[in-house]
Amino acid sequence: MQFRETIISIKNLTKTFGTGHAAVTALSDVSLDIEKGEIFGVIGLSGAGKSTLVRCINLLEKPTYGSVIVNGQDLTTLSDAKLRLARRDIGMIFQGFNLLMQKTAQDNVAFPLTLCGIGKKESRKKALELLSLVGLKDKAKSWPAQLSGGQMQRVAIARALATDPSVLLCDEATSALDPATTDSILELLRDINRRLGVTIVVITHDMRVIEQICSRVAIISDSKVAEVGYSADVFRKPKTDAARSLVLPPGERLTGLKSGGELIRLAFDGSTSDRPVIAEMVLKFGQPVNIVYADTRVIEGRIYGHTIIRLPDDRDISIKMQSWLTEQEVSFTKED
Amino acid sequence: MLNLVFSGFLETLFMTLVSVAFAYIIGLPIGLALVVTAPEGIKPARGVNAVLGVIVNILRSVPFLILLVAVVPLTRLIMGTAVGSAATVVPLVIAAFPFVARIIEASAKEVDRGVIEASLSMGATTMQIVTRVILPECLPSLINGAAIVTMTILGYSAMSGIVGGGGLGAIAINYGYYRNNSQIMLIMIAILVIMVLFFQGLGTYFSRVSDKRIN
Repeated sequence: MQFRETIISIKNLTKTFGTGHAAVTALSDVSLDIEKGEIFGVIGLSGAGKSTLVRCINLLEKPTYGSVIVNGQDLTTLSDAKLRLARRDIGMIFQGFNLLMQKTAQDNVAFPLTLCGIGKKESRKKALELLSLVGLKDKAKSWPAQLSGGQMQRVAIARALATDPSVLLCDEATSALDPATTDSILELLRDINRRLGVTIVVITHDMRVIEQICSRVAIISDSKVAEVGYSADVFRKPKTDAARSLVLPPGERLTGLKSGGELIRLAFDGSTSDRPVIAEMVLKFGQPVNIVYADTRVIEGRIYGHTIIRLPDDRDISIKMQSWLTEQEVSFTKED
Repeated sequence: MLNLVFSGFLETLFMTLVSVAFAYIIGLPIGLALVVTAPEGIKPARGVNAVLGVIVNILRSVPFLILLVAVVPLTRLIMGTAVGSAATVVPLVIAAFPFVARIIEASAKEVDRGVIEASLSMGATTMQIVTRVILPECLPSLINGAAIVTMTILGYSAMSGIVGGGGLGAIAINYGYYRNNSQIMLIMIAILVIMVLFFQGLGTYFSRVSDKRIN
């Protein structure tokens, strides 16, 4: 385990909207440490408070209680002027892209630089470099209205990187995009993370986004952190209900299946999935199993996924199969 | 006769444009302040917002003809007289700046909240957001608003003819109405209609060419 430096430290963060009886708690005593150079995911269902969390990192939302320390500076104690300076070190992209519609792509990217007082010519020059980094050099003179969603998000990424921030916050940045465009944007974020060493915080409700680029993930549920861990671990062995419902979205839950043998969920963690585990088991015990659900994907060259199988009616064989699976170090859980 | 019409036209044009200019000088900052200090604005300030809101609402609810005679003492104080085109500018500005403030407020509110938030996340100051985000982003709407303001003031300026204001309105009332010259009346109406159409066309055209959202 290499030495890691904490870049964002959230301590006992609480955010309440409104006062008195109408008060709504969006975040309740949330503490998180995000390491320098990692891509950290925050996932949760709508209304769980994840968006409020990311907006508290650059203080677009003022925490009711707690502190947010970025690069050793507690943002909650800063004056307005100092906070503005600190924000230049924290880029942000949004679900709705939020480009200036009356400015060209190039001027959008140059905008944060001109806000800092950098001259128009110099800002535009750097904007062009950033646009080529995101693969849109030829669209420099285009208006946002002429660009596709994916292209607009690329411009927004270039704009967020203009002030050379050490942190990039992504608030549901791919939620408005189709799957193929989502993939290309995620690829770009990963590339930026590797090339520039920018720490990236990704807020999403989509487990696929976490799987594709996040090394670690925090699951937010009911205004609290339900679980934090390496994405692969959380994906393989979700410990909490909140995590389980995200790994296996409700739509894919198996309900109302006619009774029969026991249903178990096999989790492939990248180490066993190059072996035909289920086939081996069937051959060994000479009894068929029914595959009722399967979802696997390749993450960083290894296969991860879940398969739900129905074991034979015969209790004896069912138990033997389960102990065999344990021997083979295939983790599984029983489905209700 | 032609001379009379031409000088009336020039007077109306002068009254309208000068009043529009002053109405914007006063109304633009008030309109922007209303947006910035609103509860959901970038710098909420309940007191300032309420005071500005009340001033604007009161002035907006006084019918122009009443306002016109009510401010006569003020007009005398500022212009030395309450008669003529130049003097009419005073009530016109007082009537128009609250209207301008509301028009500006409506345009500025059209700017996507997300864009303002993105600018805040970049470390923009309130002033930078107003001058470099809100105003440029709602420019097409501001131009449309300016056309509406101009047409309204044009209408008010004609109305001021009844109490000693100059321009086309005065001619229409003095020659067309009191002397019962329907020919003059029709000519005045025609010129006023053409002016309104002209300002409207101008506004629509520049609003469209300045808008980069439709291409």
